[in-house]
Amino acid sequence: MDRRSFLKAGALVPATAMPKLAFAQSEFNPRQAEKWRMFEVTTRVEILVPGGTTRVWLPIPSVDSGYQKTIDNAWSGNAQVAKLVYDGKYGAGMLYAEWPDSVNAPAIELYSRFATRDRAVDFASRPASVEKLSAGEREFYTEPTEHMPTDGIVKKTAQDITIGASTDYQKAKAIYEWIVENTFRDPKTRGCGVGDIKTMLETGNLGGKCADLNALYVGLARASGLPARDVYGVRVAKSQFGYRSLGAGTANITRAQHCRAEVYLAGFGWVPVDPADVRKVVLEERAQPTTLSDPVVQAVRPKLFGAWEMNWLAFNTANDIALPNAQSGKLTFFMYPQAETAAGRVDSLDPDNFKYTMTAKEISA
Amino acid sequence: MSAVPRTHAVLRLIAFAVAASCALSAFGGELKPWSGGATPPLALRDLQGREHRLADYSGKVVLLNFWATWCEPCREEMPAMQRLADKLAGKPFAVIAVDFGEGAPRIQEFLKKLPVRFTVLLDRDTSAANAWRVKVLPTSLVIGPDRRIRYSVIGDLEWDSPAVEEAIRKLLPPG
Repeated sequence: MDRRSFLKAGALVPATAMPKLAFAQSEFNPRQAEKWRMFEVTTRVEILVPGGTTRVWLPIPSVDSGYQKTIDNAWSGNAQVAKLVYDGKYGAGMLYAEWPDSVNAPAIELYSRFATRDRAVDFASRPASVEKLSAGEREFYTEPTEHMPTDGIVKKTAQDITIGASTDYQKAKAIYEWIVENTFRDPKTRGCGVGDIKTMLETGNLGGKCADLNALYVGLARASGLPARDVYGVRVAKSQFGYRSLGAGTANITRAQHCRAEVYLAGFGWVPVDPADVRKVVLEERAQPTTLSDPVVQAVRPKLFGAWEMNWLAFNTANDIALPNAQSGKLTFFMYPQAETAAGRVDSLDPDNFKYTMTAKEISA
Repeated sequence: MSAVPRTHAVLRLIAFAVAASCALSAFGGELKPWSGGATPPLALRDLQGREHRLADYSGKVVLLNFWATWCEPCREEMPAMQRLADKLAGKPFAVIAVDFGEGAPRIQEFLKKLPVRFTVLLDRDTSAANAWRVKVLPTSLVIGPDRRIRYSVIGDLEWDSPAVEEAIRKLLPPG
């Protein structure tokens, strides 16, 4: 569908009213689904302090797979240049927009439509067919990145975690359980890592804003010889299982970014995991932080190894990405709106002053 | 597909904790004498747009602190940093807090809630943090009046404790 047709499509068919979920959780059990759900995410950007050439990059859904399909992207605004571009290494797609100095109020709005369906691996039975990894892909997904070394303490920790594990499944599960268990230790020294998993392990600070637990999972998996990757995205809807901490509570998803992880297991292909969300349930599902022994945590812990509820949009799997035409350096990951002006990179973690808002709605086919 | 035997898992966890705690004590929450090489340059702007260079602080002891508004231990040690600065008011001592990667609006909003009187500089592209090999926030360097780094601290510190204040005072030039 071309852009004009998309914009002329008129009012979107509104979602049928979602059943009201009580805050009590039902059994957390994402299943491999047949039915697709459709969503639209709108990202609105207004650069409050432009200067020189203003540039904006907005991530678009770039993961087409058995659990997500891109339907369309469209946009409107006053940019002089606006086009979809793709990173060459990871295929991460983005809307790139540019304004000359003469534009006082640069603004752009992106509408991304996509479909998702829950995914779950049945470890009790082997699937009939599994996506094969080429030798090149295997190397690609086991190599270190700038913020994800796989040697030194990362390698040593991975070896310690997986001692006694002889299959890919056992190694992957051991790493998952280790992260779930160890993020609740009180660190002796309080400090926040700035994205390097080696430092996370060295300081023992594995919580909150201070760590990207799923990057730690990917790093440890790669150090164990398991292909693994982060998948960067944003939550777009409530959890249908009633878990407040595992969904977007409102249509405003401006601060709902979340990254997940996948590990490739022989016989099963790419397996979804999310140890970071187990920790999120511990910290945020109850009014006060709870413990791993709480039934609400015990219900999700085994399920988040092997399943994802797809109330979440996957943008891309890019690491250390250089945005096209950017003057600033590479990004460790790309799941927030990005912008540059003559003054340099705009703070993408400050939506109120950037400024941007993101909203999501579920739509009917 | 059984899990790794429980006994082994527990022993591994204990061993890791012991090793980790050793590594952690080597990092700090304490003043660690510096052996990391020459002092990198520093030239950054403050919230009013004025440039500050480390060279401008020659003759003073400088507490150079890398922080961010989202970093809880960073926020929590700032009052102690201010108290230390107040205790050493009038002495050749300066506190410079370098913000890691954030924009002025966010920092200004933060400082309205936690006002400080020491210098805050912006490292928008984190190039200064990279030059100073900062991997954890907060990271602090205590620099002598001769511009040589004397101590490093990884993590938060009770800056106005008697022991820390004494160590800083010993670096002050006479007179």
